Amino acid sequence: MSELTTGSFSIGDLENVQITINNIVGAIDKQMEKSDEEMGPTPKPGVSSLRDWDHTIFERYNPIYTPMCDQCCYCTFGPCDLSGNKEGACGINLEAHNAREFMLRVMTGAAAHSGHGRHLLHHMIDLYGKDYPLDVGPTNIIAPNVQAVTGIKPETLGDLDIVLNYVEEQLTQLLAAVHAGQEGAAIDFESKAMHGGMIDHVGMEVSDIVQISCLGFPKSDANPPLADIGMGCIDPSKPNLIVIGHNVAAVTDIIDYMEDNDLSDKIELGGLCCTALDMTRYKMDGSAEDQVPKAKIIGSLAKELKMIRSGAPDVIVVDEQCIRADVLPEAQKLMIPVITTNDKVMYGLKDRSNDDVEDILADLTSGKEPGALLLDFEKVGEIAPRLAMMMSEIRKQKGIKALPTEEELKDQVDKCVHCLACEIACPDNLPISEAMKLAKEGDFTKFEWIHDKCIGCGRCEFACPKDIDIVNVIEKSSQKLIRNEIGKVRAGRGPISDPEIREEGVNLVLGTTPGIVAMVGCSNYPDGTKDLFDIAKEMLQRNYIVVVSGCSAMDLGMYKDEDGLTLYEKYPAKFKSGGLINVGSCVSNAHITAAVIKVAAIFAQKQVSGNYEELADYSLNRVGAVGVAWGAYSQKAASIGTGCSRLGIPVILGPHGSKYRRALIAKPYEDQKWNVYDARDGSEMKIPAAPEFLLTTCETIEEMMPMLAKSCIRPSDNNMGRMIKLTHYIELSQKYLGVMPDDWQNYVRMETDLPLAKRQELLKILEEEHGWEIDWKRKKILSGPVMKSDVSAQPTNLKRLCKEA
Amino acid sequence: MAEEYPFEISPMFEGERIRKDGMFVELSGPKSKGYELVRATPMDEIEDGKFTLIGPDLSEMEEGSRYPFAMIYKIAGELVEEDLESIVERRNHDFQNYIQGLMHLNQRYDVWIRVSKDAVGKGLTSFEPIAQAVMMLFKNELPFIEKVEAVYVTDLAEIEKEMDNVKAIYKSRDDRTRDLHDEDVDTFYGCSLCQSFAPSNVCVITPDRISLCGAINWFDGRAAAKVDPEGPQFAIPKGDVVDAESGEYSGVNEIAKSLSSGEYDRIKLHSFFEYPHTSCGCFEVVGFYIPEVDGIGWVDRDYAGTAPNGLPFSTMAGQTGGGKQVAGFLGVGINYFRSPKFIQSDGGWDRVVWMPKHLKDRVLSDIPADIADKVATEEDAPDLDSLRSFLTDKGHPIVERWEAEEEPEAEEEVQEEATFAAPAMMQAAMPMQGMPMMMPPSSGTGGVKIILKNAKVSIDKVIIQKKE
Repeated sequence: MSELTTGSFSIGDLENVQITINNIVGAIDKQMEKSDEEMGPTPKPGVSSLRDWDHTIFERYNPIYTPMCDQCCYCTFGPCDLSGNKEGACGINLEAHNAREFMLRVMTGAAAHSGHGRHLLHHMIDLYGKDYPLDVGPTNIIAPNVQAVTGIKPETLGDLDIVLNYVEEQLTQLLAAVHAGQEGAAIDFESKAMHGGMIDHVGMEVSDIVQISCLGFPKSDANPPLADIGMGCIDPSKPNLIVIGHNVAAVTDIIDYMEDNDLSDKIELGGLCCTALDMTRYKMDGSAEDQVPKAKIIGSLAKELKMIRSGAPDVIVVDEQCIRADVLPEAQKLMIPVITTNDKVMYGLKDRSNDDVEDILADLTSGKEPGALLLDFEKVGEIAPRLAMMMSEIRKQKGIKALPTEEELKDQVDKCVHCLACEIACPDNLPISEAMKLAKEGDFTKFEWIHDKCIGCGRCEFACPKDIDIVNVIEKSSQKLIRNEIGKVRAGRGPISDPEIREEGVNLVLGTTPGIVAMVGCSNYPDGTKDLFDIAKEMLQRNYIVVVSGCSAMDLGMYKDEDGLTLYEKYPAKFKSGGLINVGSCVSNAHITAAVIKVAAIFAQKQVSGNYEELADYSLNRVGAVGVAWGAYSQKAASIGTGCSRLGIPVILGPHGSKYRRALIAKPYEDQKWNVYDARDGSEMKIPAAPEFLLTTCETIEEMMPMLAKSCIRPSDNNMGRMIKLTHYIELSQKYLGVMPDDWQNYVRMETDLPLAKRQELLKILEEEHGWEIDWKRKKILSGPVMKSDVSAQPTNLKRLCKEA
Repeated sequence: MAEEYPFEISPMFEGERIRKDGMFVELSGPKSKGYELVRATPMDEIEDGKFTLIGPDLSEMEEGSRYPFAMIYKIAGELVEEDLESIVERRNHDFQNYIQGLMHLNQRYDVWIRVSKDAVGKGLTSFEPIAQAVMMLFKNELPFIEKVEAVYVTDLAEIEKEMDNVKAIYKSRDDRTRDLHDEDVDTFYGCSLCQSFAPSNVCVITPDRISLCGAINWFDGRAAAKVDPEGPQFAIPKGDVVDAESGEYSGVNEIAKSLSSGEYDRIKLHSFFEYPHTSCGCFEVVGFYIPEVDGIGWVDRDYAGTAPNGLPFSTMAGQTGGGKQVAGFLGVGINYFRSPKFIQSDGGWDRVVWMPKHLKDRVLSDIPADIADKVATEEDAPDLDSLRSFLTDKGHPIVERWEAEEEPEAEEEVQEEATFAAPAMMQAAMPMQGMPMMMPPSSGTGGVKIILKNAKVSIDKVIIQKKE
């Protein structure tokens, strides 16, 4: 039996017979047996397995809540008022309830990603079989998150099945804890949230490596092609087929059908949200330089309503995740048929999966049905393009008009009574009333200004007592702008390859790459896409590696500099100093944590399999990476961020992301919290307050810029690294806040940690203001620093890793 | 002392490019002449902080034009010596690029500098603040420089007059670097910078062995150790020669033991198999033993294919690194191929049998002429079979080793041939192999019952059950 494997076989004796074995009962055990990999202490950790690590983290980084609501409405014992330290009917207090709510959000996000992964995996196993090999480019660790958490080193699609079984079990166990009357300690809900976040990175990783392996996505490509992005890049004169969502499976059938039937040039295929990003990755691997992505990206969730309202789409296909819940009624108004393709989004439409293609087309073109649920992707592939061709004609003939005419626009504007209800409803409190005032005088420029910042949520329209279609007014006023909304975005490259990390090692060590800044999260930046551009540009110029994904990857491609170029066109796409990397869609975020795990595996030979805690400890003390979610923070984003927290990567939230009203903040002045062990002998060593938080909030970009630099400081920095990191921290503080930071001296261990150009000046400050002793002849610090500089020290939070322990 | 310069100084300006339309003047460069030079000078011959300009200053230059340009820095200090000149000189490039509005490219007599219009607009009208800033940075970073003086020249005749002398200085430095070997010095240098990521790695830097990352050579180590003897680069007294051939020294062994926290206690600097030098992970090339031909292959990061043993770079690189000593795999920097002591202990180049073509081309001039065409590449030998025949055909010195080993038992060859062929075969045929082996229906052993479902023309699914 030991020779029995899954796969396809031909047998000499039986002519033309091929046998495919998809599944062998007992294969899991075999997989574990054959692995000669040493196993860490926590393969497939349960809910409590990494609890000690979480508690170690929370001991320093205290969970802080500033609840938006002090009630609990989870069950009918209540609703319970938890204000003023009251307990609810089940005995829960406000702190624990808030931790529980947050954990539920994390799980929602994790479930969205791993549900997506499960769907993709089923589909791909169906198409290619369980033995289909995984291939993500040059690496020794195909799935770092999977391996670190579960101990499984997946090689085939079938191996991932086992991984998702584990993920699903964990999610079930976590969800069970939400039920009334159980966990009473906030800290343990927090630990469960961490577990959910970690699991999320496993689920995301599975999703993305499935599609990378099976759909010809770029495989760790350091120079992937550029794709067009923006509402302006869609040609409205062609039939428009618009896809919204995150799961590209059905879309690949559409692309294939269009190619096979010579429709690629005749139909404009555009996408919104991560499906769009993944469409541009489809069949983009290989070395052909002239490859052009097979679809265009319109933008993120923030563009969905605007795109539909433009009337340009002739057919809308949706799959799952960030899709507006009102796509169907909005589309219906403009006679745009909607095809739903995933059981997460069905909009009440009839299931036509088993019906005849011609019948379905007839029902949709006649308007008998506003849309259809089609779970058969082959049918989607055929129907969507054909429908787009047909609807384009029909809608033209019927003269479907979307946006208001100039006259109607004027009427709409004139209706405004400046009650400000819209501004209160607007998540960004945009000055709609003022724009209306100017528009009444014929000046629509303020609406253009609003357009860039508006995330098209439509809340203003519901608030308006005069029923003004405010979104339409904004969009109509900005037509000139929208026509020119054509940017560029790099197709998602997938993981960072091992060779790239090795090559970059020297820069990470010497500080020439001062850190890695991951821009994640959703749209809704306080100052529009320019915010992203400003952050990325500043950090890229300073040679940080900037990694983007999902919404931020798209939105970054929408802003151009004075030369008319996006940052993607100006900075290399390689994992190196000053490189701007788009890993891909939201599920590609797993490659960011994966890169951190790889750093530990490559440079410190840390065991990966089942060794999560040690890897997280390494990351927290050594790897200068920081995440920024400058826009909103969906449940998925919250879950991604929480996975980062458990791995020791700090995350900064913008004003919108802060609305879960939870943070993980340490107190730099609590001296005893900033001691770790030196793994060489188990002795205690002092470290600087770095990183200072695992999750915090910034109100403005100006406040955040220096914080980004500071968040890349780590206890184990050598002095070249510290010197550069400190240089950027001080410079960014001076540039954006106009002052020296008040804590820079806490990061100085010796004179070589000081920024080179300011060394003299800073030594003087240390002497005069902080009472440090300086040997001016040798320009050496004699006394003052509370920490020693010893690059050989091995800071760890885990006693068990110490030699003498 | 915090002088006000009419420009910002920050590493963030390092990547600043000044294009033609944004440039005020171009200095030196491919269409003009110039050089940069640092000279160790006796203390009493230097006036600290002095700046001299020979020729027109920035304010007298015409916008959009090109001028010759030379920069000479004289340095002095108790610890300053000639061997440090090139180290200081190289920093001129970094420091000038720190200055906003200044772009410095290349080195020595190839320097190419541009000053931006913006910088001039913001008040940069003279070369003096540039020289002052660079001198300040020199002294801040390299405190062994006690006095420094700068002379800038924009006068063509003056530059041309000195050019031959300057070139002679560069040449003598290069000769010294080339002719300096492990046996000529009594001090090596250690570098522990990468311990911030690779906790137990120690790089030993000798005249014949540049640091693994390629960033620090023996002279750099020397300079850094002078700046801060307790810093991350430090002197390693060579101690006694344990074995010159393999490069084992008692001093190195002692340091290895203490800095690796006892992980290992011997390092042979030029050995592949025994107590090899450790690596952190950023090595450019990994060497691997090929037991089937008893030779060593090398594969670099940029090579996307597989080596004759069927493995790609990333897989083999994963076997070593992290400051661990692993026999059979060795990470090195490309520069190490240029060392005259290149894996001397194991036969040097005579032991090298394979490397990717682009890597071989890169180091071709350093491969001894008599072996160069005997080292196979992926074009000659994609697998072990073809490698063996290539080596035999070309008469690679490794073949003699086989013969020496095979002599006692003539039969061994057959056996060996079979074993080395196996892995390559398995790679290609792996998925096919399992099935036929378990298929023979006649044997009836193994207790396997096969049910064929939907077996009309092709078979959709096979359920294999254990016989209860």
